[in-house]
Formats: sequence, C-alpha cells, structure tokens
Amino acid sequence: MMNRFNHLPTLKIDAARKIGFIYKNKKYYGVQGDTVATALYANGIRIFARSLKYHRPRGLYSLDGECSNTCMEVDNIPNVRCENTQLKEGMVIKEQNVKGSAQNDMMSFIDKMDWMMPAGFYYNTMHKPAKIWPIAMKQIRKAAGLGTLSPDFEMPGSYDEIFPNTDVCVIGGGPSGMMAAIAAAKKDLRVILMESRPSLGGFFEYRKNFHNRSLELAKEVNALENIRVFTHTSMVGAYNNNLITGFQIGKPSDVFDQRYIEIRAKSVVVATGCIERPLIFDHNEKPGVMQIGCALRLANTYGLLPGKKAVFSIGHDLGLEAALELHNLGLKIELIADIREDGQDPALLQKIEEKNIPLLKGWVACRANGRKQVKSVEVSGIDGLISKTIACDLIVASAGMTPVTGPVTIALGKLKYDAHTGFFMADKLPEKMHVTGRLLGLDDPRSIETSGTLAGLQAALDCENCSIKEIGDVKKELENLPGPTRGTKLVTAPVKGRKSFICFDEDTTIKNIKQAIEKGFDVPELIKRFTSAGTGPGQGGIPGHNLPLYVAKYQALPDISIKPTTTRPPLVPTLLSTYAGTNHIMLKTTPMDKMQREDGGIFRNIGVWQRARYFSGDFTCEKEIKNIRSNVGMLDASTLGKFRIHGPDALKALQRVFVSDMSKVQHGRMKYSAMCNDDGCVIDDGVITKLRRNDYYFTTSTGRAGQTVEWLRYHTRYDKWDFHVVNLTDAMGVINLSGPNSRKTLEKIVDIDISNEAFGFSEYKEFTIKECIPVKAMRLGFVGELSYELHVPSSYMQSVWLMLKEAGSKFNIQNFGVEAQNVLRMEKCHIILGQESEQRTNLLDVGLGFLWDRSKSDAKTIGAVALAQAESDKTRLKLVGFKMENNTRAPHDGSLIVDEKVRGYVCTARDSFSLKEAVGMALVEGPLSKIGTRLEIFEDECGDDRIYGKIVAMPFYDPEGSRMKM
Amino acid sequence: MALTITCPVCGKRNGYEFKYGGEEKGPRPEEKDLDPRAWCDYVHMNKCVAGVQEEWWFHKDGCGSWFTILRDTTTNLEIEKKEAQNDEQV
Amino acid sequence: MNKTQRVSPVVLKGTPAKTKNINNWEIVMEYEGEGDGPYLIDLTHKQRFDLQDSNLAGQNPFQMTIPEMPGNSLLDKGILINRMNNTQASIYNFGETAVAMPDDSGFTDVTEATLFVALVGKNIFSICEKLTTLDFMDPEKKAPFLFQGPFSHVPCQIVTLSKDIDNPGLVITCSRGYGRDMIHAVLGAGKEFGLKPAGEEKFNDFIKNL
Repeated sequence: MMNRFNHLPTLKIDAARKIGFIYKNKKYYGVQGDTVATALYANGIRIFARSLKYHRPRGLYSLDGECSNTCMEVDNIPNVRCENTQLKEGMVIKEQNVKGSAQNDMMSFIDKMDWMMPAGFYYNTMHKPAKIWPIAMKQIRKAAGLGTLSPDFEMPGSYDEIFPNTDVCVIGGGPSGMMAAIAAAKKDLRVILMESRPSLGGFFEYRKNFHNRSLELAKEVNALENIRVFTHTSMVGAYNNNLITGFQIGKPSDVFDQRYIEIRAKSVVVATGCIERPLIFDHNEKPGVMQIGCALRLANTYGLLPGKKAVFSIGHDLGLEAALELHNLGLKIELIADIREDGQDPALLQKIEEKNIPLLKGWVACRANGRKQVKSVEVSGIDGLISKTIACDLIVASAGMTPVTGPVTIALGKLKYDAHTGFFMADKLPEKMHVTGRLLGLDDPRSIETSGTLAGLQAALDCENCSIKEIGDVKKELENLPGPTRGTKLVTAPVKGRKSFICFDEDTTIKNIKQAIEKGFDVPELIKRFTSAGTGPGQGGIPGHNLPLYVAKYQALPDISIKPTTTRPPLVPTLLSTYAGTNHIMLKTTPMDKMQREDGGIFRNIGVWQRARYFSGDFTCEKEIKNIRSNVGMLDASTLGKFRIHGPDALKALQRVFVSDMSKVQHGRMKYSAMCNDDGCVIDDGVITKLRRNDYYFTTSTGRAGQTVEWLRYHTRYDKWDFHVVNLTDAMGVINLSGPNSRKTLEKIVDIDISNEAFGFSEYKEFTIKECIPVKAMRLGFVGELSYELHVPSSYMQSVWLMLKEAGSKFNIQNFGVEAQNVLRMEKCHIILGQESEQRTNLLDVGLGFLWDRSKSDAKTIGAVALAQAESDKTRLKLVGFKMENNTRAPHDGSLIVDEKVRGYVCTARDSFSLKEAVGMALVEGPLSKIGTRLEIFEDECGDDRIYGKIVAMPFYDPEGSRMKM
Repeated sequence: MALTITCPVCGKRNGYEFKYGGEEKGPRPEEKDLDPRAWCDYVHMNKCVAGVQEEWWFHKDGCGSWFTILRDTTTNLEIEKKEAQNDEQV
Repeated sequence: MNKTQRVSPVVLKGTPAKTKNINNWEIVMEYEGEGDGPYLIDLTHKQRFDLQDSNLAGQNPFQMTIPEMPGNSLLDKGILINRMNNTQASIYNFGETAVAMPDDSGFTDVTEATLFVALVGKNIFSICEKLTTLDFMDPEKKAPFLFQGPFSHVPCQIVTLSKDIDNPGLVITCSRGYGRDMIHAVLGAGKEFGLKPAGEEKFNDFIKNL
C-alpha cells in the first residue's frame, strides 16, 4: 500500500482507520474516506478495466466518474462508478468485460484490429446476409460491452424517495453555489443546495490556497437553518416549472443506499462549475494519463502522490497551480507543456521558474508510450514541427475547461458558442433559472463568489423577496471585478488520430469522426449517432465539448455556429432501483379481505382491488357453482361502485349519463341501465333507485367506480346544474347472497317480511339488523338464482357476514368467488362490460338497445346521437350465444371466430356444469349471428386445428327467469 | 406532466395530480337536425394548436374540479389567465 | 350468536394497554410502549360528514360558520369543518361522544367511506415529504388547513391541525379500501423517524394542547 500524506489540511481521509475489501479474491485495505477508485490506486492498481470495444487498458482519469474507465462490479452490482463510490468495509470488487484480468486481457488483440472497424462498421457490414446475424451478434456480445447481469438478478440495497418543495434550488455546492444559497436564504427563503461530491466546497475545496475559504462558506451555509444541504447528491433531470430530480447516495448512518429526490422549486440556480476538456493525442486514455483535477485531488484529498515522474500538458492556469502544489509534495515534474503561447498568470510563472520546473509554451503532448501503462511521452510544438520524448509514469493532460451545462440544456435552455472563453454558454435560459460562477467563464475567485450572490438575489427576486436595486448594486460590483478569461481552443495535438480517443466509453477515435464527416454526416448530433461518441455511461462528459469543436474545425466552418449534441436526463448514470424508490403498491381491499383469506380465498388483483377469485385449487369452480344452483352461497361484491346523487338537478344529471329515461326510476324499485360514451360505446352499467325527492342511489361496475364522479361532472360542465355526488363505494360492503336457499338464510337475521310477495324481484328495501346495522337490500339476479344484494356499512360487514354464515350453516352455506360468478352469469347471458364488450362495442351490439330511450333528446344523453347513427349500420359485430359441438371443449376466452377471415371473437366460454354443455358468448359479424350458424373457432397456438360451435338462443340457463323470481 | 397547473380551488399544484380533458370546444350541440358529420367533428376533431390553447383539466388526485387553463403547447407551460376567464370551474 | 362488532380498516401492530368499547367499536386508548413519538393513531371510528349545498353560506352546522376559502379549516369544541370547494365541506367530529348529523339533505354520513388516521409528533412533515409532493411547510399555509391531494399516490384529504414545532399534528382520510396499503406505506416512511402506533389518548392530548 502506498504511503499517504497526513499533514495536508485539505485531506478527506483518516489514514489511521483502515477499511478492508476484497479485490479479485484477495484482501486489500483502503482508509476511511477513500472511494473504491482511490483505495485501489493506493494499492498499486493502475488498470481498472478494459474498454468496451477494443479491450484497451483503462485507469483513473477524472476522478468524478465522467467516463466508464473505472466502472467495476461492486458487491455484485455491475457498472458501478468507482470514482463516485465510497469504500465500505467488506466490499467485493471485480473487473468486468475482461477475459482473464484487466491486467492481462486475452481479448486485447482486438485493439490491433481497429482498421477492420471503421465508424459505422455495424451499419455497413451487419445487414447481409441475414443468416449471419444471430451468430455474429452472439460473438460481438461476448467481446463487447460493460458489466453483465443474470436474468434472475435481484438488486440489493434499500431505496428511498423524497419530494421536497423549496423556493430556491441551487445545483452545485462550490463557492458560487454556496454564495447563491446564502444570499437567497438571507432573504428568508427556503433553499435547497445540492452537491454531487460528499462535501461542499467544489472548486475551492481541494486547492491549498482556497480550502479555508471553502470551509468558511460551508460553515455559513450550515449555520443558516433555511438551507437544506444535500451532499453526495447528483442532479439527473430538470423538467417544466423547475421540477428538479436527482439522487443522494446514503452515508453509513442513513437508512437508504440511494434516495431519489424530486424537488419543486420556484427558482433554480445552476452552479455546476467546470470540468476539464480532455486533451486529445495518441493513446490519450492510457493508464497514467489523467486530468489536472484528478492528479491534484488524489494528492490533496486522498493523500496519494499520483506518480513519480510527471509531464504536464495543460492549457489552463489550474495546471500550473497543480504542478507547483504536486512539485512541493514530491512529484518530479519533467516538463510542463502549456498549449498557450501567452496569457498565463505571471505570479504562477514566476514560482515555476523559482522551482526550476521546465516549461514550454505552445507545446503539447502528442503520444503516450508504453504497452499497458505510460512509460514515456512524446511532446511537440502545437504546429508539430518538432518533438521530443520524455520518460515519465504520469501525464497530466487537459486542454482547458468546459462548463457543466447539462442542467441548462435538459431544462431546454439554449447554448451559444462564446469565442472569448471557447465555451458553449447559456444563451437563452428557461424562466426562473440562473447560471453563475465558472459557467459564466469566470475564473477569479472574487468574481465567482460575487456572481453567486447575484444569482441568489435574482432567484430571490423570482420569489418576490428582493429589490431590483439590490440586484443592481451587486451587478455593478461584479462588473468591477475580473471578467471571463480567455480559454484555449485546441482540441487535438498534431496527430493522425487513429489511436486518439475523443470518447472513451465507446472507443471512438478522431479517425472515426473524420470517417463519419467524410461519409457526409455534418452535424454533431448525427456524428454522435453514427460513431456512438458520447452515448456511453459517461453521458457525454468526455466528448461533449470536444466533438462540436472538432467537427467545426475539421469542416473549416467560418465560425462555430455548430451546436453541441443534446443532453438528456439522466445527467449521470442512475439505477432503475433508485428511480423506482420505495415503490409502494397501493391496492384496495374489501372489508371481507381477511376473513376470505382465512376461508381459503385465492386472490387476484382486479383493477385497483384485490378480490377472491377462487375458493379452492379447482379453478373450474365446480363445487362453488353447483352449490349456488342447488343451495346458497355468498359473494363479496363490495367493489361495486356506489353513489348518492342529490340536489335539485340530480335527475337532469342522471338523464345525461344514463341511456334510459331516469324519470321512471321509482322509490322502492331498482332500475337497470347503462352509460355510453359519445360514440355510443357502452362503458358502464348499474342499477338506480330513488331514495326520496331529488335524491338517488346508484351502482356502477367495479372498474368504472373511480371515474364516475369525473364523468358526471365532465359531461355537465357547461350546464351549471345544482347537483352533488357522494362516492359511497368504500362506505358499504356488498354481500351477494344467492341460491334457492338464500331466502331461508336471510330470514333468520332480519325481522321484516322478505317473502316473494313482500320483497319481490327487482325491488329495493331498507331495514336494520340488530337495531344498529342499516342495510340497503336489492333483489337482483345476476347469477340467475334467487338472490339478495345486501349493502352493509363496511365496519359491520364482517359481523353481518358471520351472521349469515351461521344462519346458513344448516344448508352448508359456502363462499363463492369472482370466477364462479363469472360462469354463473355467463350461463344466464348477463354481460360484464369489458368482457362482453371492448372499446368499440356499442349498446346495440351487446343487445342492450332496449335500455335506450329515444324520447329524451332534450337531455342530450351521452351516446344518443351516435347510437341513432349506428342503428342502420350493418357492419357492426353482434353479441351471440353459442354451444360447442364437443360438450366438454369450451374455447379459451379471446379465441377468434374465423372463416377465411377473422369474423369475431369469443368473449367468455366455459364448460357449464349446470347445463352439461360447453357454452359461451361471442361478438360476431352480423351475417354470422343467426341462430344455427356454425362457428369455426381458432384458438391461440392451435395451428391448423379448429373447433366448432353453433349459435343458440340466449340465455342458456333458465330462459324464463323463474329461478331468480321465485 | 411535470408542469404545474393552477386549480381554481386548490391553487398551483404538481401536474401529475391532474388528468387532461381535451380542448375547449364549447357546450354540446343541440341534437335536433344535427348533421352526423358535425357531431363527429365536435367529438373527435381537434385544432392541435402549436401555441396557446384553452383546454380542460380535471383535478383527479385533489378536489375533483373540472376547469380550463391556457397552455402553450410548444413549451408545455401554463399561461396565466385573466381573472375574468376564471369562473368556468364546476 | 356472533358479537356485533365494528371493524376498522386500520390494523396496527402493538399490544393494547387500555381499550374502550363505544358504539360497537373496540377502541385502543393506549398501546404498550408507545415511545415519545411520532405517533400513528387510528381515528376511523370518529364521525365524518360530507356537506354539499350550492348555498353553503346558508349552512351553519353545529353552530359553526363554514370557512369561506377552499382549503381553510375551522376547529371548535372538537368539531372540525374543512371548506373543500364552492359547494362542499367536510366535517369531522373529534369529540368522545357521537353527534347527530344535521337533518338536511345536503349531509351524508361518510364515516364508513374512509379510513381516518392522525400523525402526531416530531418529524411528521419529514414523513409526509416521503409520500407526497404537497407542500406542508409552505409559510403561507396557516394551520388548520386542508389539502386535497395525493398521499402515497392515493387521493386524500389531509388536514394539518398544527405546524407548531413542539406539538405538530395532522389527520388523513382516504378511501377505506386503501387501509392496509396506506398504513403499510406510512409506517414504512416513518420507520427511520421511529413512527409507532399509539392509542387515541395521544390524539386527545394533542388536541388539548393545541
């Protein structure tokens, strides 16, 4: 293990506290505060992974996870970004996409075959002959890609979610972000500050001269109660009206591993600062090549000297500053090649001279040598006229800075190229979004801080908590401070580019880009697709800035009007588990849920409800069905929609939505009717009774109950009618007591006369059980037997159920489930909407035309106009009953009715125990609907075999209806 | 749906709480002598404006009101309405 | 013969230390080891009425004036009235004794239609933040106030009774059928804050301290 510095104030590690982990089946140690990447680096690991296509060795590069170089399998989770993952005791770390090891990968020969794989290789070669496809695909998949998952993989960890509201959301906890948060918080606003690294400080935190200032600012932030700080929290999305999404990585003390965060802010400040623009030269991604921030943070944050002998090839003062700091820590610096001919900070230049560090202006690295790791570097003048080779084990390379504009572009802000800084800068910002700090090209620390204050106040103005004058004052102050600094524009060293990588994730080289342009792709967006540059896990972090610059230069465009490629959420790779969050499953249960489960009910999710579908393992429900036909059973129908509608215009509203004439609804009687949509398609059915004047009670089907109030209000929205609807669906449980013995059972628990004379078919009664349980009772016959539908207050439902169970024990009363009911009502040809109908089925098709009253056109009944038009339409399907030729061979629901064409389909069909025949209902074309017509039925996966039935009269069971009226 | 929508009863809320109810087309036409084509147009034809349109929304997860807002379909943002227009809620 | 017993959709794990039987409800007044909050309290047995009338100004149920602005609530002598919209208000009775529903066709007893729970004690708004985007901490919202909005994806009425840092509390109603899954979601979200089931006495104490 490498020695760590332990005297630096910037350190975020505790070298005394060792953390053990397993890497390639061997135990290693890191220290408290390490990331997985720095712990491996400390143990001498330089090759972390092999690249996607060419299996090139890859190592530390940016230390912020901007490329897939350090994606590894951690605790069985593939593609973990090791630079962003804190080391934990006992972690098991593995390499991915290697055959052998990352050090000695047997697939590395592919790197030499790059000439075979120009840009668009797959598009050009993989289309003919088609037979080769499956074979080629298999081989490619074996050789290429990142981590792998087995299909039965279950994601470990716990995932949480929160949905905070705030006035101001600041993205980025560097100096400008902290200043913005402070300024807004001081205006009495609620502020959220997000920082992707584990601590605040940003660009100041790891630099010797600015570290103290970052601590000061962080202290001030933490002292303000109205700032909520989310560290280790990456922003991933920005949506309309400042909906900001992100996720937080949990600390050991947190209850979650990751937490999805969705913030609604009134105003947003983007203070994401800059990352470095990669310098492109030959083998620019070889282990040993890293960016300035990576080298400096390895030393200052993690106490690790990044190498022994280094060559710097940089284009920004940060490179000079880093060289000095690292030199003082003991790194031997053989040369600083600065892209810039001039413009360096004179103070830094003087110090470099004092330390005798060789510096060449207008020079650049053009080739990294070494088989697997850097052994030397070839540097040349930027014109390529002269070059020399220097032995080293570290190349610190960076072309300059590039602003992290992702948050702006995903919020649909527009970027524009700025010739002075060389940045793509925010040009048109979405409403109530502000950018600050280094995103504006600022480099001077005072300017950065002041711009943060300005953005914070502008955000406060969005929340109407700041005066324009105050903003004006800060603006003036900022104008007197140093403005944006000139940036470098060089993209690539003077090389041919066959091994110069513009995108590491996808192994895209400069040569590939040239090939794409030569094929006629002229804009970055298309070149990105063709070469796949920027489509990897790094989300364009490496090629994002260089690609448009290079494309403009290579095409010799007069000005860089060319646009960078579009950034889309998620801005950083995000686990699906994190998006899923806690994933609450919200389903409804009936008051009988527990007792039905105890009685052996087998439950299914039906819409928002969980319902008992069967009461035995026999899914034909033979016993349940026979019991109803000969005895008595109970069904829990609590899921039925139940509504009270009252008010002076209640009847008008009912006339609008129900097809029947609702003025005929009487007190004490039930009326069956249906609702249609504007196309006349039937969407709901139910029964209605009148409670008193202007006061009705009605039921709807289970599936429509959630939309009933919405439907009523929508279709009366212009009428200003005075009516009120109360959803009582959950207020009452419904017991469907059915079977010839049901009267004898019910009699025992009620004290009113329920004889056929006193309580006849289709009548409605209210009574009280045990003087405290109010019951609404209806005599209906959905299953075709004597039947009572009891609407009971939900809290009393279990009590009433138990009373009935006891009362019916003499007859051996049994539960029946939804499937038994389905068969029973099918035998009776009572339809269930959604089963005997689909989206396009209208009221007439299912034979319910008799419900429709044509005399109430003043009511503007929904569907009436369309029904009138459909009446003469001969092409519509019709609902028919059919009987199979084979008595025990009912077709599957949904089977097709065919001849040489599809003529219809089977809605419901079962082998009927009551009839000892296989019967069902189907929707068929008109000419096939005559009684006696033979139907040819095609079942799924039955090949050339057909089964046959013939159309018969409906209903199949008890056609006179005497059983339900007994 | 990430946009915010101003419910006349509940105020500005997360758009995910609402359900879209179509373009504002005025009340149902009288049925008498109604040309089938005109009826079909009323039900199914939309203007699909690229710009500001008046449209119906339902506060599904909230108070259950139907109301109209003005929305710019090119930015998917609600446009503030004049007070006078704001009494259409039912 | 079976006992006539009313059953709440809310099932809380815990050993009842003190119970009461009122109006066929078996009510847990206190659980063993309730801790020091936050608490989840089942109030499903408390009466709830729906009032709808195009002229709400003409109604003053229980001698109370219905708040004029939708979203505003009024709590007086154990009766809470919440203005829902132009024509609708909800009324909750926190009192120990049942009241008679006013004899007016605008009223509907909806006690049975919803589950009714209270969240009382520290960190309750942090728990809410995990389940809804509704902004309880909006400084413009002064307790008591009503939210009609989603809570764990289910439409709810939520009345914040107090935002007081020492004695915060709110009540939630939603469709009764969601009882099992709503309680599961709330307890899951509250786990990290030590949310525990508590008996009705904790709620009564909370109301007294308002």
